[in-house]
Amino acid sequence: MTGLDRRTDGRAERGLRGLLPVITTLLLLLLMQLQYRLAFLDNLFPFLSLIAVYYWCIFKPGLMPVSLVFLLGLLQDILSGGPLGMTALLFILVRIFVIRQGRRFLEREFLFNWLGFIMVSLAFGLATWVIASLYLKEMQNIWNVLGQSIMTIALFPLVVWALGLVRDLLVDDNR
Amino acid sequence: MKALRHRFPSAFFIILALALLVFGGNSALVVARIRSEIVNFFVPVLDIASRPIELANNFVDWTRQVAIVFSDNERLRAENRQLRQAQITASQLAIDNQRLKKLLNVGAGRVNIIAAARVVADSDSPFFKSVLINRGTRDGVKKGQAIINEDGIVGRVINVGSSSSRVLLVTDINSRIPVKLAANGINMILEGDNSPFPKLAFLPIGKKPAIGDLVLTSGYGMVFPHDLPVGQVVKIDKDGIRVKLSAKLYNLNYVTAVKYEIIRSPVGANDDGKPGR
Repeated sequence: MTGLDRRTDGRAERGLRGLLPVITTLLLLLLMQLQYRLAFLDNLFPFLSLIAVYYWCIFKPGLMPVSLVFLLGLLQDILSGGPLGMTALLFILVRIFVIRQGRRFLEREFLFNWLGFIMVSLAFGLATWVIASLYLKEMQNIWNVLGQSIMTIALFPLVVWALGLVRDLLVDDNR
Repeated sequence: MKALRHRFPSAFFIILALALLVFGGNSALVVARIRSEIVNFFVPVLDIASRPIELANNFVDWTRQVAIVFSDNERLRAENRQLRQAQITASQLAIDNQRLKKLLNVGAGRVNIIAAARVVADSDSPFFKSVLINRGTRDGVKKGQAIINEDGIVGRVINVGSSSSRVLLVTDINSRIPVKLAANGINMILEGDNSPFPKLAFLPIGKKPAIGDLVLTSGYGMVFPHDLPVGQVVKIDKDGIRVKLSAKLYNLNYVTAVKYEIIRSPVGANDDGKPGR
């Protein structure tokens, strides 16, 4: 069911379904912007769009080209009010990491996949902390960012399950 | 798309992102404008998407209220009796105050309510504390205006689009608000540091607030009207004096943009307003 036994590139899945990875990432990105009215979530809200970028770069890299990853990251920066280019840069680095690590290894087992994400999420958190501290010219609280990374790691299985349902639609498309 | 991908490898986008990071600050006018136009486009979507959360929140509030309605009623009756007394005293004081102000020729502040707005998005980031509201230049909102709600101060407008604006919350590391202690009128600055409890800074030597002291806006800087509730001193240690804000910034629904003006009297008394940030 991996759908990658045959080469599944954007070409085979052209049409509106080919946009599903971008649309789902966009949806998660918008979900992150909403106000959930819970005090404890204020600093710890999981970075949902990171999960989607990681997931689609493993399973459908052809539908998640670097240009779109860049644009999604940029949109995240614009909507969240953070420094322009920060998430865009980090999303591209995540994509490079996934492609270099060998997607076939990461996609084989969910547990490997999750372990890979733990590394990615922690490195991502650390990088945002460094960039934000440099940008604001003041050392930021690292515990908040660690908390956000842990929340993201914890939510990973749920989001991946939902994205898996979407991926099934794409796999069907490859008949 | 594939051709494009091959022509522009990852390196190109990495350099582009780095360039934006270094040169694309909000100070660049074009960047700020493009940014607010893109935000404008997404605000209606976020507005609709946030409605179910508001509904759920209202429902939780409603059940909570139903649960405590009896004990609340008892408490409110007692409070009402006290308030009636206080009202009589307050109206006497108001008349006194007005008479004395006239004698001193104090420049009266005028607060113009610009627009009521709904908070549609929240940055939810550990490093940047801001929210998006669904009102912009079309509704008279301008950069620098104060944003308040029924509980107290919320923040100020830092970016405006035609139908949306970004509000820098008072907890953000870049936020500085002139405030004073309600008890003795000592002026200070409320400094955000991205934690939920902003710090009081620039305290006059020898003066020290106590835990529980009320903090109000001082009106200096001409952004926030004076005497609006800010919060209460909750912690004093070597790290600083921390204030618990009156407005719940994690639970904002409707807010108001206000513009504060001082009507200068000819013999400007008590006028040492410093320019705000």
